[in-house]
Amino acid sequence: MSGVELSELQGNVLRGYRKNVARHIVARVRDAAAARAFLGAAARGEGPLPVTPGTDWGGAAPEILFNVGVTYAGLRALGVSERSARGLSRAFRKGAVSAAKTVGDYGCSAPEHWRPFWREADAVHLILTLHADDAGALDRGEAALPLGGGMEKLGAEEAAWFAPDIVHFGYRDNISQPRFRGFDPKGRWDDQPAAPLGVLLLGHPTGMEQISWSLPEPKVLGLNGSFGAFRVLEQDVEGFEAYLDSAAETLLGSSEADLLLPPGFEGGAEARRAMLREVVAAKFCGRWRSGTPLALSPFDPNPEPPVSDTDFDYSDDLDGVRCPMGSHLRRANPRSAKIVQRVANHTRRLVRRNMPYGPEFDPANPVKAERGLVGYFLCADLAAQFEAIQNDWINIGLQDPRITGANDPMIGDNDASASWFDIETKAGPVRLRGFPSFVRTRGSAYAFLPSMAALRWIGEIGAGSAAA
Amino acid sequence: MSLPNGPIRQLLYRVLTRFWAWRENAKPLPGGALPSRAPSDNVMRTMNLVMPLKNRTAVGRAEAVMAIAACLDEIYTGLDNVGTVHVARFTIVDDNILMFSFYDGDFRTYIRDFIMTLGHAFDGIVELVENPPPLPCWRHVDEFIEWVHERDALQLPSDPGELAKLVGPEMTNLEDLPRFLAVQLGENRNVQLGAYRAYPGFSVAQIRRAMEAGW
Repeated sequence: MSGVELSELQGNVLRGYRKNVARHIVARVRDAAAARAFLGAAARGEGPLPVTPGTDWGGAAPEILFNVGVTYAGLRALGVSERSARGLSRAFRKGAVSAAKTVGDYGCSAPEHWRPFWREADAVHLILTLHADDAGALDRGEAALPLGGGMEKLGAEEAAWFAPDIVHFGYRDNISQPRFRGFDPKGRWDDQPAAPLGVLLLGHPTGMEQISWSLPEPKVLGLNGSFGAFRVLEQDVEGFEAYLDSAAETLLGSSEADLLLPPGFEGGAEARRAMLREVVAAKFCGRWRSGTPLALSPFDPNPEPPVSDTDFDYSDDLDGVRCPMGSHLRRANPRSAKIVQRVANHTRRLVRRNMPYGPEFDPANPVKAERGLVGYFLCADLAAQFEAIQNDWINIGLQDPRITGANDPMIGDNDASASWFDIETKAGPVRLRGFPSFVRTRGSAYAFLPSMAALRWIGEIGAGSAAA
Repeated sequence: MSLPNGPIRQLLYRVLTRFWAWRENAKPLPGGALPSRAPSDNVMRTMNLVMPLKNRTAVGRAEAVMAIAACLDEIYTGLDNVGTVHVARFTIVDDNILMFSFYDGDFRTYIRDFIMTLGHAFDGIVELVENPPPLPCWRHVDEFIEWVHERDALQLPSDPGELAKLVGPEMTNLEDLPRFLAVQLGENRNVQLGAYRAYPGFSVAQIRRAMEAGW
């Protein structure tokens, strides 16, 4: 790989781990020297719980994978000077609580409704992430952390993988991640133009002419690090399924049903209702729940022969007849489609490191429980990528005049009295209305995922060689 | 007995507002459009950027005219590529360069896209301004955005209740509003009082599309 050694990156930055369970331990620094000593040793590969680097581990993954995110308050609490920490971008410094309105965390998603340990802007210092195949291994990993010593546990977010790569709302996920120039992928990557490393890592070209994100002093603190918007997103699965029921029922009684059903669709009222539910679910997302992209298969969730999951674009679907402009997928990444912000195509890519939490929803036996998605949205610039997507594209819909004024139907800040979503057809748009917010933010923090060298540097603060 | 509206009265006002500001621990309020949940409030937002010139003479103003004229075409092209700007006006008023604009969406995204699209073109203008941002602007994007934000005029709501909440959240008697307002205007010298929109709630691209002007 050109430009960066994988051994210098934290392992969760450039690849997903594909372990069964994860635990994100939210912690404060209680004793800076002890916390630094633990992190420095862990980054050197010493001690009972080394930080997992990006190095290829071959066939056998370690039993417990461990990574560290540090907030601005966390860097300061660890002893990093204000001057150095401030060099890591304004958005990171201000944090997720301050950015709540920018990213659409209003109403019941506002910080005052988050879990208590996420609410205070400066309370969270560290997000200590463990991945393993079972809860016992997570417990062993947690026991190896200096909680009660240099660090104090504030809370934890648990997550678990659902076979086969299903997330709440019933869609197949983990389909693709950005591919980076100079990096030879082994995982599941997409077929979009390879992104420059500066989309994800500090200190590398960004793909925007002449632009690179600034590095702090000393540069080792920032180089090869990434920012992560850590999000705890509760999903109202029952509400989502209920809306699909009501939308299908409404469409079934209208002349618009035939515009949305696959050409030549045969079946009685129940079959039509069931198909319309899936059509609405697919149009909301941009993929069928099977994962098949609408851009390549607008009428069939399981086409034969199968189509690519990733090799598609919207530049040949200008009117959104295959994949609506307002669908979640197309909003968050319009690929090469014509958009209002002409300089923004391909520049706001995010790497998603999320897993579901809460029990899997069984529509035949619905059990009330909190369910959602938890993890990181990684990027090199939180304001230019994550916040710009959330504010201008997920909500408002500024990228295309045909969706401006409507929010993302799946994750947007919606109000049933005003929400709308257009499904384009050859006979004109079919407008759906009346859907509430299906996702509620329960916690968030902006973290920096330092490189291994940066973690070692933090570990040496106060030891004489490192000038914090 | 009331004092005549002369220098003594003005001096008294200055002393009084400084005393009030000290007593109230007044601080400048951030300028620019306030966050809003309603999509319609997130389009056609206003920016009133006030940039005092270093050279407050006719020569300084002439330098500003020359600097702006030299890059106006580039600025127009840049604004076109940003795609979310309705109107942008460049004006010299007294010894200030003003850039007043109507734009859609997030302020920081607007300024970031603007300066990234423009490259060097804006450097020649801000060089002439007091306390310029680190140059070149496009190499110091975060700093440039905050520099603009600090010079973006405070936007005052026209509703007295909202105005009172903004300038005197601790105020118990609405009759004190003029005093609180005077204190705040001591901290925020430049304010926007109102902005008329003939077509509220529409983005640049929606208007251009409706006019078949391309978007």
